[in-house]
Amino acid sequence: MSGGPGLESLVDHTISVITNDGRNIVGILKGFDQATNIILDESHERVFSTKEGVQQLVLGLYIIRGDNISIVGELDEDLDSSLDWSKMRAHPLKPVIH
Amino acid sequence: MEKTQAKPDSAAGNVDYKVTPSKEPLLPHLRLPAPTSATITHINWSSSLFFSYFKELVGREVTVELKNDLAIRGTLHSVDQYLNIKLENTRVVDQDKYPHMLSVRNCFIRGSVVRYVQLPPEGVDVELLHDATRREARGG
Amino acid sequence: MATTEEESAVKEPLDLIRLSLDERIYVKLRSDRELRGKLHAYDQHLNMILGDVEEVVTTVEIDDETYEEIVRTTRRTVPFLFVRGDGVILVSPPLRTA
Repeated sequence: MSGGPGLESLVDHTISVITNDGRNIVGILKGFDQATNIILDESHERVFSTKEGVQQLVLGLYIIRGDNISIVGELDEDLDSSLDWSKMRAHPLKPVIH
Repeated sequence: MEKTQAKPDSAAGNVDYKVTPSKEPLLPHLRLPAPTSATITHINWSSSLFFSYFKELVGREVTVELKNDLAIRGTLHSVDQYLNIKLENTRVVDQDKYPHMLSVRNCFIRGSVVRYVQLPPEGVDVELLHDATRREARGG
Repeated sequence: MATTEEESAVKEPLDLIRLSLDERIYVKLRSDRELRGKLHAYDQHLNMILGDVEEVVTTVEIDDETYEEIVRTTRRTVPFLFVRGDGVILVSPPLRTA
């Protein structure tokens, strides 16, 4: 039986991670394992709010524990750079309630 | 962020943190029996119903609703034994309220955060499901 | 081990659910959600597939001025729904009466 989340194709690509507490972390996928623990390089958090546009917080090299990950999205970089995130207003995502 | 509690000894410095390997198993009562063919069969049948079902659904459009109230529609690309789901050509159902994933077209969703999956009616063979469920129930 | 028992024997909770196959059941879920639908499949985690599902979500808001609790219910129907078992609080077989 094949195991693991099968994120090989995303290694060295920019991904957008939604964590269970509702944060959005963007970075370059450097590694992952069976439990969806991931290594993110050059990562930064995109902070959404209704008061101002999206703020970027620099985080650096992060290892995120799989249990706290909701979504791993492949970022379409062309699409992403065509969007003006500094004008985007939205509520932060709700946390996952198990 | 939790901080590691300072151990009282560490203030003195030069603390040897090397773990001396012991001959005794740490938790002898937790040693598992050698796997038998019976236990392996058990693992195989257990919970393969929905894993198998979702594998049949690959290529169809589904809507995955998460426990953070996000709903993501997309083409089912793959599923694994944890019911982790990969979707292609994704779009968030209420994109105005949730622009967070606007530049994401393919995504991996962890099985544990799934609340519902809305299934395409043509992808549900009711009789087949009943039979598979009865077979799986007997296995238990 | 249960091969000689007849199909209708009810020894453990899941047997009762087996007898509800192809019947309309009531499911209470976490985060104030309730489902009514026809049970088409389930496993030992109480993952399920329901058909002709009605979902009722109950939300409570506090009125800004009077501080009164306003209870709202939202309903929707879904043709076929896979329900992850970890959110299930209780399952009730079809009502014999009514």
